Amino acid sequence: MIDFTFTEEQELFRKAAREFAETKIAPHVPMMEETNRGWDEVDKELAEAEMFAVTIPEEYGGLGIGYIGRLIALEEISRISVATAMMYQVFGLGIEPFIKFGTEEQKKKFLPKFATGERLATVAVTEPSGGSDPKGCRTSYKKVNGNYVLNGRKCFITNSHTADAQVVLAVDEDNPDAMTCFIVEKGMEGFKPTHEEHKVGMRGCNTGEIEMKDVEVPAENVLGGEGKGLKVAMAAIGDVGRGGMVGCALGLQQACLDASIKFANERILYGKPISNLQAIQFKIADMKIDLEAGRLLGYRAAAIQDAGGRSSNEFAVAKYYTTEAAQKAAKMAVDIHGGYGCMDEFDVTRYLRDSFVLGPSAGTSDIMKVIVSRWALS
Amino acid sequence: MSKDKAAVFVVAEQGETGVEPASLQLVGKARELADALESKVGVVLLGKNLSDATQKLIEAGADLVFQGDADVLVPYQAELYTEIIVKLMAEHHPEILLLGSTFMGRELAPLIAAKLETGLTAHCIELEVNPEGILEQRIPAYGGMITIVCPEKRPQMATVANGVFSTPALDASRSGQIVSIEVPNAFELRAQTLEVVKEEAEGVSLETASVIVAGGAGAGNLEGWHEIGELATILNAGFGSTRPAVDAGWTELETMIGQSGKMVNPELYIGIGLSGELQHMVGIVGAKVMIAVNNDPKSPVFEQVDYGVLEDCREFVPALTKKLMESRNK
Amino acid sequence: MLNIVVCVKAVPDPRIADKLKIDPVTKSLPRLDIPLVINPLDSHALEAALQLKKKYEAHITVLCMGPPPAGNIVRECLALGADTGILLTDPAFAGADAFATAYTLAKAIEKIGSPDVVFCGMASSDGATEWVGPEIATFLDMPVVTMVREIVEDQGDDWIVKADYGHGYRTVKLKLPAVLTVTRNLNLPKPLSFSGILKARSKEITEWDHHDLGDPVERFGLKGSPTYVTEMYPLESRREVQMLEGTLQEKVARMVKILSDAGVA
Repeated sequence: MIDFTFTEEQELFRKAAREFAETKIAPHVPMMEETNRGWDEVDKELAEAEMFAVTIPEEYGGLGIGYIGRLIALEEISRISVATAMMYQVFGLGIEPFIKFGTEEQKKKFLPKFATGERLATVAVTEPSGGSDPKGCRTSYKKVNGNYVLNGRKCFITNSHTADAQVVLAVDEDNPDAMTCFIVEKGMEGFKPTHEEHKVGMRGCNTGEIEMKDVEVPAENVLGGEGKGLKVAMAAIGDVGRGGMVGCALGLQQACLDASIKFANERILYGKPISNLQAIQFKIADMKIDLEAGRLLGYRAAAIQDAGGRSSNEFAVAKYYTTEAAQKAAKMAVDIHGGYGCMDEFDVTRYLRDSFVLGPSAGTSDIMKVIVSRWALS
Repeated sequence: MSKDKAAVFVVAEQGETGVEPASLQLVGKARELADALESKVGVVLLGKNLSDATQKLIEAGADLVFQGDADVLVPYQAELYTEIIVKLMAEHHPEILLLGSTFMGRELAPLIAAKLETGLTAHCIELEVNPEGILEQRIPAYGGMITIVCPEKRPQMATVANGVFSTPALDASRSGQIVSIEVPNAFELRAQTLEVVKEEAEGVSLETASVIVAGGAGAGNLEGWHEIGELATILNAGFGSTRPAVDAGWTELETMIGQSGKMVNPELYIGIGLSGELQHMVGIVGAKVMIAVNNDPKSPVFEQVDYGVLEDCREFVPALTKKLMESRNK
Repeated sequence: MLNIVVCVKAVPDPRIADKLKIDPVTKSLPRLDIPLVINPLDSHALEAALQLKKKYEAHITVLCMGPPPAGNIVRECLALGADTGILLTDPAFAGADAFATAYTLAKAIEKIGSPDVVFCGMASSDGATEWVGPEIATFLDMPVVTMVREIVEDQGDDWIVKADYGHGYRTVKLKLPAVLTVTRNLNLPKPLSFSGILKARSKEITEWDHHDLGDPVERFGLKGSPTYVTEMYPLESRREVQMLEGTLQEKVARMVKILSDAGVA
């Protein structure tokens, strides 16, 4: 059967990630909440901690640790800051199409720079016309003299303003059934990030819009082949995007559980800590059960990924389960805190707001159910 | 036990003003232990210009003072001191050897113990000879006290921090024997102290403060630590710490109060954000009023103080400081 | 090639360790599962070795005496940059006091062979005797400097170091081979890195028991310890606490009164 324990090495990865999160990320969290800005060195520090190298193969300058390692790192970062975890996970999502679909030239050109954080990636699929319906994409391309000209707008893109190599999904102007992914780079004329969102949660994580006005993209920036765009985008989002949300959700669940246990042990009512009351104990048990289950679902899917298999269905299950569980956990944590659960100084208020953003990211819960039902019925 | 034998020895230290207070305290204790063993107290004193110190040691209770008076003995040199003391121990075979938990003692004691292949207990709080004539050495640990013995090897060695035992009354009428010990002339030192440099200490001295504010892990971060420091300043108190605060880098080891740190004797002690761990609490000797501020209702500190405040120190301390400033300005 | 040995101890996580208390009924310690970590001061000892390795060619051996789970600590030290790890593990080592511990470590260092420098943290977070470093030095017939806060000169065999002393520090001229026990102020340990963890895959950890050290078993563990614990007892509280009541501001006001009655406010 299966050994459900982490290896000694994986425990060390977790320790390294935890130390990084506690010493380098935690001090910035209050400022991020207040200003809705990440701190200046966040990308540099993520790079120094070798976070970007985790999924990039060794031959392209990465560490090739894999997706279980990625999930471990995300859990630990998210426990301290969901916003930073989200940023990091989407950088990873942007890197994935290069690994899976890049040509040798593209891999050599981009991956080593992604590994060191010199360049940052993201994926831009969602538009005002729909994210759940990617085929409704209106950003279009036209072939001109062997190159391509892109026009359109993407919204709700994480790292919209910080990523300098964006994988953009566009539809052929002349053929609505043909979609292609392009590497759009900062500096290309006509491409610019525009509006930045103020989200209710994950504050400090850059989410915004990008605009393309007659952007000339050279043929060598087609990623994964002309006409294959939907497959490329969905493969990346399906495995790595969803996987990243699982990491964000699990970390948040752990934070909710830790905060609830601490508060329940310190808060005295009727002469005893409230952790003695069954109503509180049951909420904590619910959180714990969801966390145990969510972890197994997430690591199972990541293990399949590490073994080279397709894991989008397993990740759909895990993404649905954990992001829903995180929202429940955050609400329970706030309830356990009573009146204090509404006060800014208590982290649980931030957890509640962060949990809202987990749902629609990388596919809504309803979409997850569509995918899972398709899997079950196939 | 031969009545002429010095069964209890103390390695005394020459301080800046005569003899180190810890050495006098140890001689006082040695006197007690030697009386229980019906024996004498021997003291080793190494340094230069030792007559004043020697006199005080005799007045404190020493029967024999073995003096090593030479230029090469200043400053302290580990290998040389070890060589001299080990030789003396081999000649006199005492039952007990005590040293202060001073910087010198903490290095010298294990060097002597390893050479003599005997046992050593660090930072003792209590020393007592039991009915079988064995030295019971007590140290705080795990929220209580543990008793350690060294039943076979000799001498039974222990170090004790300054302030644990009271300074004995000096009796000018006491007399004692002074013995000069041979100091090797050309001793090759592989580790040689070239100089000892004093550094400026800041703030109210903990050892003499009548009010002490001590902070612990509950300060949370450097900002929280500074808040506690402000309270100490406005109360004109000594600002002490516990090990977690030192480990967190908020303060220096010099400010640590406890079994392996400083022993203090304030009138009023306020412990903030600390758990009341015994290793720290034994450092507070004889405070009239003790107060604790902590947000954990189960904290052991609340069993050891007169007044307890169950609040987050990050909330309570700034509020208290503010109130004190307001009443001051009235 | 500098041959460096770093002695590390696996201790219960100091952040949680004060939960371990003498049981008032059984008068002994309960079995609590507190995770083991590298003794904090030993991280500084390892960092000192790593900084030397950056300057000069060096081989760092990490030496740890402990039960089998302490092997994780050794692995972590390899991930931090040490070259070889040795775990001294054997039920015969149990119950060792500082003397027996130092003796065991010294025998192991002898077996490792001709070290140039031995680094130890100046004290452990759970024993804090500060004895082990100096005693190892005595058994190996090496000089020792305790509480090193700065290494001023480290080229060749003649070193100059500064160590905490009195109300300040002392400057010591030191001839290698030697033992140094280090303080927190010596350096800032580098954090654990992913690439370090991967590099540790190819590094060796060897386990030695008392047979590997050669001496008869009576020289180790409890049998080899001149001292042992005869009893432990919890302390009864000697004060009756009065908890202040009311809102935060009410407690503040009450506290001001207490302080003013005591003559300080």
